[in-house]
Amino acid sequence: MSKGKLYLLLGALVALAYPFTPLASDYVLHVAVLVMIYMVLAMGLNIVPGFCGLLDLGFVGFYGIGAYTAGLLTVHYGLSFWAIVPLAALNGALWGVLLGAPTLRLTGDYFAIVTFGFSELVVLFLTNEIWLTRGPLGLPGIDPISIDLSWLSSLLNPAWDWYYEFDGETPYYLLAIVLVLGVYWMMGRLEDSRLGRAWFALREDPLAAASCGVNILLYKVIAFGISAAIGATAGSFFARWTLFLSPDMFKFWESFLVLCMVVLGGLANIQGALVGAIILVALGEVLRTVLPALGLPAETRFLAYGLIMILIMRFKPKGFFPAIATSGLSNPVIVRLRKRLAEQYGAKG
Amino acid sequence: MLEQQLVNGLTLGVIYALIAVGYTMVYGVIELINFAHGEIYMFGAFFCTTFIGAMGVPFYLAIILAMAAASLMGVLIEYVAYKPLRSSHRLAVLITAIGMSIFLQNLAMIIWGSRPRPFIQEAVPAYLSETAVRLGDVTLTWLHVFIFAVTFSMMIGLNLIINRTKIGTAMRALAQNRTAAQLMGINVNAVISFTFALGSSLGAMAGILVAVYYNSMYPTMGYVAGVKAFAAAVLGGIGSVPGAMLGGIVLGVAEALGAGYVSSLYRDGVAYAVMIAVIIFRPSGILGKAVVDKA
Repeated sequence: MSKGKLYLLLGALVALAYPFTPLASDYVLHVAVLVMIYMVLAMGLNIVPGFCGLLDLGFVGFYGIGAYTAGLLTVHYGLSFWAIVPLAALNGALWGVLLGAPTLRLTGDYFAIVTFGFSELVVLFLTNEIWLTRGPLGLPGIDPISIDLSWLSSLLNPAWDWYYEFDGETPYYLLAIVLVLGVYWMMGRLEDSRLGRAWFALREDPLAAASCGVNILLYKVIAFGISAAIGATAGSFFARWTLFLSPDMFKFWESFLVLCMVVLGGLANIQGALVGAIILVALGEVLRTVLPALGLPAETRFLAYGLIMILIMRFKPKGFFPAIATSGLSNPVIVRLRKRLAEQYGAKG
Repeated sequence: MLEQQLVNGLTLGVIYALIAVGYTMVYGVIELINFAHGEIYMFGAFFCTTFIGAMGVPFYLAIILAMAAASLMGVLIEYVAYKPLRSSHRLAVLITAIGMSIFLQNLAMIIWGSRPRPFIQEAVPAYLSETAVRLGDVTLTWLHVFIFAVTFSMMIGLNLIINRTKIGTAMRALAQNRTAAQLMGINVNAVISFTFALGSSLGAMAGILVAVYYNSMYPTMGYVAGVKAFAAAVLGGIGSVPGAMLGGIVLGVAEALGAGYVSSLYRDGVAYAVMIAVIIFRPSGILGKAVVDKA
């Protein structure tokens, strides 16, 4: 086991144990859940601008689609969270493919603009289709997540009732850790797969990739679909956590925030995206307490946010961990190939 | 009814066109979607009322002063935020532009408060609200006439600057190939600053016209207007100045008709839908050059 994996495991164990220590507080757990939702979002978004090099300004649209899918299915049909997650992810992926298939032929800024327009349309839809979403009033009364194994327990022993409804922050916190680890593992596998290598290839040089037989449009659509599905998954978790949804939660600002997390961590760097999520959510919380203490209104938070983003881009335009060149090169096949090349060509390789 | 909708749409359209020109010129010279342009538009309106309210400057002079202040602001933004990033990757510049937009929006909120405020009515010449022309059911006030006169003369002036002057030629050269332009002895920094100044002054003018027309201004007004103007720039073909003018007018009319006959709830949606449709079916816009894609 490599050192990195060991640290990751240790970190995960400490994080899992945290709510049961005397240090735990509801506030910290709440912020931690928020951080982890943004971690999932940042990892999901990372696929498009990081792995494929396409700018996506409308990621929050898929987050909103996932959240409202989950919220509406819960309120109207009372579906269990465990059934909703795949449905929400599929719905997100469906819209990702529907949007991506005709527009991913476009390059650069044109694609960015389309995604931006799409997420604005999603917000308009959520605001105006009052019969479905209750519009600006928001969607209240979403049930918390529950684990219902009563069917199993009643088979085993009629006296048992294995039913647990999430209460307080702790169960959400634990589930969020599972979610983050799951997505993180998936990202690592994707990065080091045929799919991931195709993405890197088309990012570095689309023409060369196409000449090598990579179906560029297909791989871009797959990337966009997976990214959208992850965004929607985070949305479904968010819906069953806050128990209230409103269209304001899915405005362009959120897309920008997630994009900043990805860029801050270093594009295409999965761990970087995690760090970016921690830094920016923590920054928001710090500003929320520090600014009123200095006698400034709470709205100045966004002013500071904007300013900090400008400053970071000014002095660290590649993010804090610009590992873009080395990611995906840890595959043993590539490592062996490089070694062989180095032997053949000496120092030049 | 239809005619009045058309007039309203045209009025909005020419204002969108004024903003769109700023986007398209900046995109032409440095290939950046200048998200902060909508905020310049908003600041223009607030500058104007500040000059009138706090300093007692007469209406027309206040407009000119506000345009000057806004162009100074545009140049300053470019100098402080975009110029240092000219050699780094485009995502960094774009994020800076969005960060700048958020910063300016909240700055305005802190200075002037977040609630909508009316334009100072006493300062506006009274004849502007009087009827100028009545054609059947359509009423045109002098304000309509003023808006059309101002925007059309500005667009003609802009076309003259771009096509007939030395600096306009330099702008077009920069849009085609920056390195080559530099090698021909063009002062790239000066041209870029000039582009920002020109675009910002037109944006500020648009902001003032809208504030007078609707008698209302608020710090977030730049966001939606900016997006729509950008959609207009895309519709006309990004990088093309006549295209942006045409795109603005088409979008304004489409929006007024869409709001009148389809659904007023999706008034803002028309702009996004038009933008997406144009990008999918004709990314070069109405008047833009064909996009060459190497992949």
